[in-house]
Amino acid sequence: MGDILGLIGKRLGLGLVILLVISAIIFFMVELLPGDIAQAVLGQGATDENLAALRREMGLDKPAIVRYFEWLGGAVTFDFGNSIVTGERVSVLIGERFRNTLFLATYAAAIAVPLAIILGIVVALLRNTVFDRVANVLTLTSISSPEFFLGYILILYFSVNWGMFPAIASLSQNMSLWDLLHRTFLPALTLVLVVTAHMMRMTRAAIINLMASPYIEMARLKGTPPWKVIVRHALPNAWAPIINVVALNLAYLITGVVLVEVVFVYPGIGQALVDNVSKRDFPVVQAACLIFAATFILLNLAADVGAILTNPRLRHPK
Amino acid sequence: MTNVKDQILMDRLAEAAREGSISRRSFMNYSMAAGLSASAATGLWTSKAQAAPSMGGTFRLGAHDGNTSDTHDPGSYVTFSMIQVAHTFRSYLTLIEPDGSLGPDVASEWSATPDAKEWTFKLNDKATFHSGRKVTANDVIASLNHHRGEESTSAAKALVSDVVDMTDNGDGSITVTLEAGNADLPWLLTDYHLAICPANEDGSIDWKSGDGCGPYKLTNAEFGVGYNFVRHDDWHLEGAYFDEVVITVLNDPNARQTALVTGDVDAITQLELKTLSLLQRDPNIEIDNVPSAAAITMPMFCDQAPFDNPDVRNALKLSMNRQEIIDKIAFGTATAGNDFHHSPAMPYWPEDIPQREYDPDEAKSLLQKAGAEGLSVEIKVADSVFSGAVDMCVLYAEHAKASGIDITVNRVPSDGYYSDVWLKEPWCVVQWGARPTPDVMYSLAYKSDASWNESHWQNDRFNELLLQAKAELDNDRRAEMYAEMALLARNDGGTLIPMFPNFVYARRKNVQHGPDLAPSWQMDGARACSRWWFES
Amino acid sequence: MSYFVFGFYALLLTASCLAAYFDKRTWFLTIFAFTLVSFVLGIVGGTSTLQTVTLLAGLLALAAMVSYAFREFLVAIASNNMAKELRTAPLTAAFGLFVIFTYAVAGIFAPWIAPHGEAEVISTAFAPPDDSMLLGADQLGRDIFSRIIYGTRNTVSLALSGTLMAFILGALAGLLAATTGGWFDQVLGRVSDVIMSIPSLIFALLMLSIFGGALATDTTSFALLFVFAMVTGLLVVIARAESNIMSWVIGLAVLVAAAAGFSTGMLILFNPSEVILIMVVGVIYAPRVFRLTRAVAGNVVVMDYIEAAKLRGEGKWYLIRREILPNSTAPLVAEFGLEFCFVFLLVAGLSFLGLGIQPPTADWGSMVRENATLISFGDITPLIPAAAIALLTVAVNFVVDWMLHRSSGLKEQ
Repeated sequence: MGDILGLIGKRLGLGLVILLVISAIIFFMVELLPGDIAQAVLGQGATDENLAALRREMGLDKPAIVRYFEWLGGAVTFDFGNSIVTGERVSVLIGERFRNTLFLATYAAAIAVPLAIILGIVVALLRNTVFDRVANVLTLTSISSPEFFLGYILILYFSVNWGMFPAIASLSQNMSLWDLLHRTFLPALTLVLVVTAHMMRMTRAAIINLMASPYIEMARLKGTPPWKVIVRHALPNAWAPIINVVALNLAYLITGVVLVEVVFVYPGIGQALVDNVSKRDFPVVQAACLIFAATFILLNLAADVGAILTNPRLRHPK
Repeated sequence: MTNVKDQILMDRLAEAAREGSISRRSFMNYSMAAGLSASAATGLWTSKAQAAPSMGGTFRLGAHDGNTSDTHDPGSYVTFSMIQVAHTFRSYLTLIEPDGSLGPDVASEWSATPDAKEWTFKLNDKATFHSGRKVTANDVIASLNHHRGEESTSAAKALVSDVVDMTDNGDGSITVTLEAGNADLPWLLTDYHLAICPANEDGSIDWKSGDGCGPYKLTNAEFGVGYNFVRHDDWHLEGAYFDEVVITVLNDPNARQTALVTGDVDAITQLELKTLSLLQRDPNIEIDNVPSAAAITMPMFCDQAPFDNPDVRNALKLSMNRQEIIDKIAFGTATAGNDFHHSPAMPYWPEDIPQREYDPDEAKSLLQKAGAEGLSVEIKVADSVFSGAVDMCVLYAEHAKASGIDITVNRVPSDGYYSDVWLKEPWCVVQWGARPTPDVMYSLAYKSDASWNESHWQNDRFNELLLQAKAELDNDRRAEMYAEMALLARNDGGTLIPMFPNFVYARRKNVQHGPDLAPSWQMDGARACSRWWFES
Repeated sequence: MSYFVFGFYALLLTASCLAAYFDKRTWFLTIFAFTLVSFVLGIVGGTSTLQTVTLLAGLLALAAMVSYAFREFLVAIASNNMAKELRTAPLTAAFGLFVIFTYAVAGIFAPWIAPHGEAEVISTAFAPPDDSMLLGADQLGRDIFSRIIYGTRNTVSLALSGTLMAFILGALAGLLAATTGGWFDQVLGRVSDVIMSIPSLIFALLMLSIFGGALATDTTSFALLFVFAMVTGLLVVIARAESNIMSWVIGLAVLVAAAAGFSTGMLILFNPSEVILIMVVGVIYAPRVFRLTRAVAGNVVVMDYIEAAKLRGEGKWYLIRREILPNSTAPLVAEFGLEFCFVFLLVAGLSFLGLGIQPPTADWGSMVRENATLISFGDITPLIPAAAIALLTVAVNFVVDWMLHRSSGLKEQ
């Protein structure tokens, strides 16, 4: 196990370097965007005079590189600064939103991951039957429809026509857990539809890919029942690609849900990020991107460690 | 009114008026568009017995255009949702009444010296902040100073740049001194940036705390997401019928519409026009369609061939079938333009100037007179100007073919349109937001030396009248001047105005409002929360 | 009880009895189960439901017949070897091929097939279908059918180019990283981590805002394409040249020429703003492909036969081409089908946020977005382009499944 701990330590260190690189990339990308924060804030009311005054007030008259290092100086002590536009602490602005996003992602993942893996195993077992084909067509259709469109269809049936769930998932304080789950069901369902198919198909492909291996052949010839062949013999060796895809999709659930947030008016972090990109509010964009990046790096690390644990051969690279 | 079709239209209008589904203002507009005189239309307007407003309930409003980086700083208001929120918990010195006239808010009355240089505003002594403190002259001066001076970062800086001095008269009134006479000052003070906030010791204002002197107290604000309010019982004006107000930001047009249809909210702003006819079928929903002062313009450079000849300009103005453009591009929710930038929703609107109709034959003969038959011109337009801008030009190009004019529509990138195309290209398309008075509009974009004189139009008589009217305090004389200016712009000016787009918003049937809706903003001048009520 | 219902059950029962009599067990079970389900449906939903069911069954049968005929057609015109392969293709794959073939024809010959122009306003808004408009008009009175046909051309070519770019770059890098290992593997891995850690939509939004406006010129996009081609080519050169100086020089020379040719070709096919969209898609998706390839190839590289080939003294290029690639095709091909859908969706999502393909160019994603609000009123207009997207991705994945099946060497029932 020692080598794995070493690997984790090494990867965490690397992760910090990656975060540093990303912060630089994001900073300079925001700088490269046409227009600046003062223009974005003043909109049509911008005149040369108040633009200059606002730039001075926001400290935009300093060179970009100086501003980046000022921000970095704060960031290493976990001080992500204040929003330039509103002057509010970035941690306050983003914390609540990030909790909401995490909640929705957990909700969707709790349904989607077990569903996808079980379905994947079942269709691998029943491959080339009617069930396989139907599941195939349905999942393909669900991932090939744009997610805002899936959202609209769910709204049409579940809230406009049948009135089972609310059309907008706006949250309020002191909601009971049941209320919360009920109110956010449609966005969660949309996300489930979006991610399940990918994971299911990868599970199926990974298992079927192994079915021609001699050891599976052997197991079958021994007379082991098909489900046992898959669950006991094929699945353990198929984990690596499956875990990879699951990690990718979990990351997507946290970082890629802007459209679902817009459609269901869910106060998540994606919407805040898009808003602040349009306002060029660098500290908020930076903090949100770094949260996303950190989430992604951790999930990936987990996937890699998982892959190594399930395939001992990877543990000793030749 | 000999035409049978017109008769049917009038019957329908009268019926709509009886049901209360159109306002008096729209009724007047439509009936006059159908060829009735103003007095006849007034006669037809049967006043509907209005039920007295009833108190109570929680009004849930879904508003478009909200952003996480919105703030309470009145100098940085830019999104519509913040304008709506500001009018719900803050007050202004003056306001625009539902019928479009100017009314008192924190200032209960005002007067000016004959040269309109010195204005005295008497403050309403009942006005209080939500914290319980009275609104004083000091607060008002500090609130206006927030937008003045070297260090101000306010977007309304240009609006109050004429103010030289403000003094507290000590008797609950203030005096504002201007550099030059301006009869429009009380109108300018309705601008959404100029909210009255409590003053700090040092003369700045406290905008951060969310304290205000408006009809509702702000209890919770999450920018770009939603806002909660409860009634401010000591509000100084009539209204504020709801006990509580919830404003939710719903940026996606579909989310807004479904929230209204499913009853998750009671009213929404900004309908998507292409689904208007479908939404109308829902029996629980009422749509409000209010003419506004926003405008689409197509300025031609009057100092550049071929637009340097007024006959050519008029031929181009005559070659547009405005009705078809309103029907197809605005889905019927716009008021036809008449080539002067003064909408029926603005004060002093000259009602007896005839509407310019589509007349390719007349256009042809004008072109002949100018020796410009077979005219070929290019217009530049971007998609971002307004939804349907490019299509409008394509449609116009089709219309102009009948006059023998060949218009090439050149679609240019949206990014940088207002810095690279507008004021630089001889002919393009522009969208203008609503301005409160004709003076503001004309001074901004039609005065010969204005930096935004988008058509390079020079007319001495027009400029002379503009200056006279600005300092003229007699309303009738002012109206006459604006009528003459309108005629000048229409017949000589270089700006083709296809239409004034309407404000289109919707509410559930149990939400009631008075006979008129203010033309200054969506949602009854953004004051729906204090003016509307629930059917009891 | 109408004649229809009577005939419906009579037919089903006869069919199941015949199947049972001729000992077709699966057929019997399917048909009889269907009969039982129809009893329930008939009771719950009435005659109209049964009619819908019949219609659906008819459509399915039609699709099956078309697929069958198309497969036979392909077998008839293909060479001997191909024909043998094609005969083993399941009907679903034949259906997929048929759909892809149709789309290809529609895309290539769009101006001749479409009855009206791409942006031509010919009618009033939302006019119902008539003789000249097969599917009615959209919100501006443009013919939806014509726009879908043109959309095939714009959307498919764009998505296909983007996916191909991502795949060539990602898979090459992944295979090379797996075979080389060491710091090269580490560096590539971290670079892909950096790109992937930035959420794709945000990354696309930033990149399109930077490059999409004033910078969307021929020069910029040529430069971007050239850099892309150089990076990809460099990977090939690294794999082939090993440490021989001479091969490096020749390789690089060939590479520069090829990259310039490629960039020019792309600019002839697409306008600058589309090129930038394709590049953005390529950059965003390449790391995903890289990771997967790296993981799959990583599992293959530790196999004994690779060890043996290495001991034989085979070069990297040989290992990649002859040993690793054939053994990791299946997951890669499956991934290609899925990534292709994702690219569609990313482009549609960007249009939803106001970026992406610029109007009035017809593309399916924007067509869905433009009319999406209609769905709330039960109007199916936005479903048509959405169905076009879904049909193509389903078709592509049917074919992919078949190839996957073939390459995995599974010959079981």
